[in-house]
Amino acid sequence: MASNRRHFIIASVLIVICTLIVYWVLDTVLLKPAAAVVEAGPIDYLFDLHIWLIAFLFALVGVFMCYALIVFRARGDEGDGEHIHGNGLLEIIWTVVPCFVVVYFAWIGTTMLIDLTEAHPDEYVVSAEGRQWSWLFTYPESGAVTPDLVLPVDTPIRMDLTSDDVLHNFWVPEFRVKQDTVPGMVTYVRFTPNLIGEYVLRCAELCGTNHSGMLATVRVVSQEEFKLWQSEQVAQLQE
Amino acid sequence: MSLFTLGIARGLVGQVLGMVIGMLLTCAVRILLGWEAWAAEPAWTVGSVCSIIGFLLGVGSLDDWLKWTRGIQTPLVHGPPVDKPAWTRYFSVDYNHKVIGVQYTVWGILLLMVGGTVAMIFRTELARSGLQFLGLDLYNSFIGMHGMIMIFAILLGVGGMGNYLVPLMIGAEDMAFPRLNALGFWFNVPGSILLLLSLFIGGWDAGWTAYPPLSARGPIGYQLFFLGVFAIGLSSIVGSLNLLVTLLRMRPAGMSLFRMPIFCWAVFATSLIQLTATQLIGTSFLMVSVQRAIGMGFFDPRGILGEVSPMVGGGDPVLFQHLFWFYSHPAVYIFVLPGLGIVSELLPVFSRKPLFGYKWIALSSMAIAIVGFIVWGHHMFVSGYNDILRIPFMYATLLVAIPTGVKFFSWLGTIWGGKVHFDTPMLFVLGAISVFLIGGLTGPILATVPTDLPLHDSYFVVGHFHATMFGGFVFPFFAALYYWFPKVTGRMYNEKLGKIHFFIMTPAFWVQTLGQMGVGVMGMRRRIADYDPTLGQGQIENWQMAVTIAGFAIAFGVMLMLWNFFQNAEVGVSAGDNPWRSRSPEWQIPSPIPEHSFPAPLKVVGEPYDYGLADSGYVTTTSPGDD
Ligand code: HEM
Ligand SMILES: [Cu+2]
Ligand SMILES: [Cu+2]
Repeated sequence: MASNRRHFIIASVLIVICTLIVYWVLDTVLLKPAAAVVEAGPIDYLFDLHIWLIAFLFALVGVFMCYALIVFRARGDEGDGEHIHGNGLLEIIWTVVPCFVVVYFAWIGTTMLIDLTEAHPDEYVVSAEGRQWSWLFTYPESGAVTPDLVLPVDTPIRMDLTSDDVLHNFWVPEFRVKQDTVPGMVTYVRFTPNLIGEYVLRCAELCGTNHSGMLATVRVVSQEEFKLWQSEQVAQLQE
Repeated sequence: MSLFTLGIARGLVGQVLGMVIGMLLTCAVRILLGWEAWAAEPAWTVGSVCSIIGFLLGVGSLDDWLKWTRGIQTPLVHGPPVDKPAWTRYFSVDYNHKVIGVQYTVWGILLLMVGGTVAMIFRTELARSGLQFLGLDLYNSFIGMHGMIMIFAILLGVGGMGNYLVPLMIGAEDMAFPRLNALGFWFNVPGSILLLLSLFIGGWDAGWTAYPPLSARGPIGYQLFFLGVFAIGLSSIVGSLNLLVTLLRMRPAGMSLFRMPIFCWAVFATSLIQLTATQLIGTSFLMVSVQRAIGMGFFDPRGILGEVSPMVGGGDPVLFQHLFWFYSHPAVYIFVLPGLGIVSELLPVFSRKPLFGYKWIALSSMAIAIVGFIVWGHHMFVSGYNDILRIPFMYATLLVAIPTGVKFFSWLGTIWGGKVHFDTPMLFVLGAISVFLIGGLTGPILATVPTDLPLHDSYFVVGHFHATMFGGFVFPFFAALYYWFPKVTGRMYNEKLGKIHFFIMTPAFWVQTLGQMGVGVMGMRRRIADYDPTLGQGQIENWQMAVTIAGFAIAFGVMLMLWNFFQNAEVGVSAGDNPWRSRSPEWQIPSPIPEHSFPAPLKVVGEPYDYGLADSGYVTTTSPGDD
């Protein structure tokens, strides 16, 4: 038992070190795209929390396993190990503690999801239609119809999504959120762009031959520029 | 000896004949109705159904039952064929569960190789951005094909382990229903042939999940794919029924449920899922098949003609996803529970220590199987179903992590304080734990909806499920192959080659899965023939190349293993009856195992895993003369 205590102390130190290393590796490999919407804040925060949990649990199991394999390797003898069938208390602990952890995560997920999907009183609505293999955007206010998406910065947006043929999916990696477009119904997705720039909308639901090429340009522009662009569109429509 | 003494040759002829007859039948009916005689889709569909029946008739799997209908009695033949070489029994209908187990396993490995080859082809395409040599449609067919072939291969591997090991582990003479057992295997052969054939009549381009409306419009290949899956599903259902009855009714005196070898618990949980969930994928694919063939628009909101019409349509594409995932989520546990059972089975042997928390591990399999039925919605977080539904599915999914965690901690408890030996099977068990750990830990981040929104349908999911499948099936399956190879053949494989295989494949897999997750987070979608090279600040191509190289390394390792087995099956060093000093019943009898495995009924006199307890036994065989 005394030797067990020493093992646990060494293992704990190793777990701390290993957690930091795994976190660093994951942080280096899992390169998130730029965050261009307000919603990316909470989503990336929860993502990061998960990565810490993954790093810790990976270290916990990995260190104990490797440590046991080294310390308890058979040193050429044919004997058997200790005759232990289990430990009820330990089993209960490692059943109950994870329960709290997952419920905690589910609870964060729930409150965050409610925030993400909540309607804003002054949201700007744009319709998008997915079709094999391009996108079409309609601006209800002006009646403009365009193949590229132009959005004003710092304005809550609701995209109303439809499809006339098969399933597609509205996804701009920099916006994080995504949503299928389903023939026969209108789905929606909400976000608030907060970074001016040019992004690519990438269809994220297999939709046939040219699924990989089903892209559209998304421009997030300043509110003044958006007004200008909108009046240009209206002018074009009236011609 | 003519080729047609082999059942499989007769079966293949029967399959071709069945196909032709089915097509002619379709033409005849159409002529009677006054329609144009030839229509490709109905002809291939009816032909495929008939081809499955044709195969089963040809191979002779239905012979006994057909004779019974005419009042002819047929004894259960047990033993090698009388007037043919002994090896021919592996290519014909045979009722011995050990032969059927080997048939399942070998057919599974063959499919693993076909599926792996397909993967290496499109992985080579993905090594660089831009389209090099695959066309878009062929690429789309290949990814679905790879996925479904691998699922077939896994189901066959699972069937192989279950059929070979369960009767031996509980000391049963054979499975409860030997004829049904043979039928269960033979369904797989015409099923996988239809699946492979589908590639040559247009393929199918909606991935293994085959979501309509896309799958309701694509090439005819879909029909063959759906019917192939249907055949495999029938195999799962009869096979699992057989295993459940065997486990419940054929245990020897003294073997209570909690004294079964732990692998039997895993098979029990798996079979429960297979028996009750498989119908759902059969139904969902059959409904698309019918929608295509005769226009019943189950999943079509507008009608298959693409115009609003009162005569067609009126369906819902999202309904398909519910039906599909109600099977296909539990299915992922069909793939992994037996493998996790192998891990629990082998750890005590190579750690020379009792399994830590036997009951907890046994019941965690049941818990996973049961909770697995109420989490399917996590595949549909962005499908457009009712928003509120996402929350209960999020909670339920996260709960699955708990019994999974119990397994990991109990495995650590088993190793801790043992005397660990590092033979090849044990290395693969440890590899399995490390890889399944990666797979399991990347589950919760997909289960909380806000983080799933960016990750869904990205390559991250591809990384997640390859880690779960390799950790939960491939590594344990390889461990099982190395471990029971001496039991099946009586010979030892080459230990050094086995270790080389392990040390190539394990790090390669880590790179592969990490790379897949990495490019997914960078913004690469799954199922795309070509990707944007600027993703991940331009680093994506390096990772793609690394994943491709890792894939080839894994393929090389697998070939090394097969060569190792091939080399040593006939001429390897004799292994002895119990090279691993296991307490399990199958190791107490000669290798290779005689036709009738146990000379007399088993009697259970102790606990299965009492390593380290002097003079304790698990089973004894009382020979008939003793009492
Ligand atoms: C800790 C337990 C696990 C959790 C919480 C979990 C969670 C999830 C979630 C939420 C998804 C959906 C991701 C998406 O499409 O956005 C997913 C996908 C998947 N998981 Fe798991 N998973 C777990 C373990 C497993 C295991 C043991 C397997 C067994 C092989 C598995 C196989 C799969 C597969 C095949 C998919 C992708 C299916 C597809 O869309 O093609 N997962 N997992
Ligand atoms: Cu698409
Ligand atoms: Cu699932």
